[in-house]
Amino acid sequence: MTFAIQFLIDVLSLGGAYALMALGLVIVYGILRLVNFAYGELIMVAGYSMFLVGGSGLPWLIMAMVAVGMAVLAGIATDYIAFRPVRAKSVTAVLITSFAFSTLLQNAALLFISPRPQTVPLPDLFSETVTIGGAITPLRNLITIAAAVILLALFALLMRRTVLGIAMRAAATNFTMARMLGVPANLIISSAFAISGFLAGVVGLLWIGRIGTVVPGIGLEPLLVAFIATVIGGMRSLSGAVVGGFLLALIDTTLNYTLPQDLLKFRDAFTFSLVILILLWRPEGLVKGPASGQRT
Amino acid sequence: MKQHLLTAALLAGLVIVVVLVTQALGIRLYDRIVTNLCISLVLVLGLQLFMGNSGILSFAHMGFMGVGAYTSAVLTIPVQMKGMALPDLYPFLHGVELSPYLAIGAAGILAALVAAAISYPLMRLSDAAAVITSFALLVVLYTAMTHWSALTNGPRTLFGLPKATNLHLAALVAIIALVGALAFKESRTGRLLRASRDDERAAAAMGVNIPALRWRAFILAAFFAGVGGALWGHFITSFSPKAFYLKETFVILSMLVIGGTNTVTGAVVGTFIVTAAYEGLRGVEGVLNDAKVTAEPVIGLTEIVLSLAMIAVLILKPGGLFPTREIGALIARRMERKK
Amino acid sequence: MLEVEELEVRYGAIRAVRGISLRVASGELVALVGANGAGKSSTLMCIAGALKAAAGSVHLDGEDITSGKPETIVRRGIATVPETRDVFPDLTVDENLMLGSYIRRGDGKGVAEDRARMLSLFPRLAERAAQPAGTLSGGEQQMLVIARAMMSRPKVLLLDEPSLGLAPVIVDQIFEMIAVLKKTGVTILLVEQNVGKALSVADRAYVMRLGRIAASGTAAEIGAQTDLSALYLGA
Repeated sequence: MTFAIQFLIDVLSLGGAYALMALGLVIVYGILRLVNFAYGELIMVAGYSMFLVGGSGLPWLIMAMVAVGMAVLAGIATDYIAFRPVRAKSVTAVLITSFAFSTLLQNAALLFISPRPQTVPLPDLFSETVTIGGAITPLRNLITIAAAVILLALFALLMRRTVLGIAMRAAATNFTMARMLGVPANLIISSAFAISGFLAGVVGLLWIGRIGTVVPGIGLEPLLVAFIATVIGGMRSLSGAVVGGFLLALIDTTLNYTLPQDLLKFRDAFTFSLVILILLWRPEGLVKGPASGQRT
Repeated sequence: MKQHLLTAALLAGLVIVVVLVTQALGIRLYDRIVTNLCISLVLVLGLQLFMGNSGILSFAHMGFMGVGAYTSAVLTIPVQMKGMALPDLYPFLHGVELSPYLAIGAAGILAALVAAAISYPLMRLSDAAAVITSFALLVVLYTAMTHWSALTNGPRTLFGLPKATNLHLAALVAIIALVGALAFKESRTGRLLRASRDDERAAAAMGVNIPALRWRAFILAAFFAGVGGALWGHFITSFSPKAFYLKETFVILSMLVIGGTNTVTGAVVGTFIVTAAYEGLRGVEGVLNDAKVTAEPVIGLTEIVLSLAMIAVLILKPGGLFPTREIGALIARRMERKK
Repeated sequence: MLEVEELEVRYGAIRAVRGISLRVASGELVALVGANGAGKSSTLMCIAGALKAAAGSVHLDGEDITSGKPETIVRRGIATVPETRDVFPDLTVDENLMLGSYIRRGDGKGVAEDRARMLSLFPRLAERAAQPAGTLSGGEQQMLVIARAMMSRPKVLLLDEPSLGLAPVIVDQIFEMIAVLKKTGVTILLVEQNVGKALSVADRAYVMRLGRIAASGTAAEIGAQTDLSALYLGA
């Protein structure tokens, strides 16, 4: 019983984090059909912002809000620098500019801050442990689950009940038609990037909370997670990204628990190989996205 | 046909001229730079023949470079050194010691086989999903290299490769790669692939098996990458898995993108330009560090400049410097107009 | 109200529209007919702002809207219903209609009135208000996109091939709706391949062939021309 609860908490907290990461990526992809390679760096920006305001003596929540705010700004900046100038040109061009922008940001952190890991202030709350049904887990995991549930619910609400959300869903299905109804294209896109930055910022702080330090390359793992969860989930579907995130967390946690010690370091290789197999079986992903009929 | 021969001749000629001049100058630094240039050419040409013809961005290329480098290493590190260099090596490989030239070929073949085995699922995916999965593939290969100590010495540096690569060998392989990339481009597979790139539905309707074509191109690209990796291994004689990951992917990609993804000429010209810029910027970094202008060593400047350059090129000339026509075709057109 | 002068639309090197001029007066229903490939849809899409004009101009009530982007064109009062129908399949009928009134979203009361009016005009849509638009039949989708366009209270309605792909009975219904809409005073520019139906609701018509205007006149005049087929197929 204890084991089951431990497993469940691990899967749910990891799944929640992964789902948020994936959602932040898909919201831009869904509307623009463009993959944001600099997405991981939004988490890096949140981390380094925390580091930079760390000495200010402000309450942690305020610092966290600053960090998330910076991630939002970085998201919008990504749109203006890496996407807008090349959006019309080709899908590949945008992939590459966002990759270049990602390299730019990472190396800027490297050059202007430091290649060495920097400490990020964390609330004591994160590391306090809680015992549930015999399973011991850091409070942070429960906070992650709560944050994921709240954010996913808010997001679903946004998408379904607000005009902005409906406009975004429309823009994701048929951008030109949405424009012909007066939906301001650029505003929609900036909103998508801003939301992407917000999600990245929040999940970034929770993610960094596991180690407590930030390095320039910290965004890589979340980026990969977001990528893979999105691809399994079906690229265009918001709910697919969430499903993909939880599924990936399930696979990862299961492998963590079951792989023999000496194979554990290959866990990522196993996870991704499994994913490649899933894609072999279902190239369009597991969840059907908005009907479009054409090549994604 | 004549245009293609002209392109091949011009590009090969460029390489030959640069090599001869370097040889004449006799400066070791230039020797190293140009040898690296030739090795980069092999890598970039491999990437070009996949990306340019299929239209799919692949991030996995450097992973196969690593496969090639490690394969050649295992096959050529002298038996006496094997114990020290690869302490966890599988017993059955202990006694193996091949000629580097054979090993380089074997490295390419093994990289191609690995690519053949794991990449087919990728080929059926749509553009964005394929790119993302190729990225995952890079990570898988990197993870394998970093942890499979039996074959790679893990994350630690692997020493002991015989220095078999010199300027001439690298140049020769580069020229062969050049001709190969051009030949592939104009082959039936290459043309069908390009047709499918431009209009997937029409091609599929004609019965073209797009995944199979992509797969073939990917395997060939991996072969180039493997050979390039082995060549590089035998030049630098020691390396670690970190040499086959994101930073290098970025540099190779920048060479291709700036020069022009869709043309072999673009691949070659881009390699020259970025190599020159890279070496120049590294030099600047070195000078700044020696002069202790800043408290901490200056790193990352090169990458920052390169990223800005890539973004600029993509904004101003999204197809690169040579977006559609090879140099042979461009010159042929000029001559036509003059008539 | 709507004035098009010497409009040219190009797809790369190909000139789809080679300098056409047409006028639509306030409250009129003008039909633009012609064979496939004549350039009718390109003309419409250019007015709507979805395609760039290579030359010429488009004026609405004297204002130059030639280079307007789709978002601005609709704000000036021109609503477009493209040939591709383009419902948002995963959004409900109601959500689709709501998007139609996007530019008037501050006016809650007005929007609600319009919604009620549209649903009474198109009772089939009222039945399916909460259904995803993708589950509607072709004819119902056509009604939806017309209703959606009307939700912005446009001065001018651009309709691109509303009869495309629909059964004759449904086409009749759609054109009845169009006639009703005309009575509400909205100006309509109708592109149609179905000449008979188009002329039955139109005041005037232009015939396009190979990117140019080949004939123009009242609906009766155009309908009476015996060499209409020649105009279509080329003499």
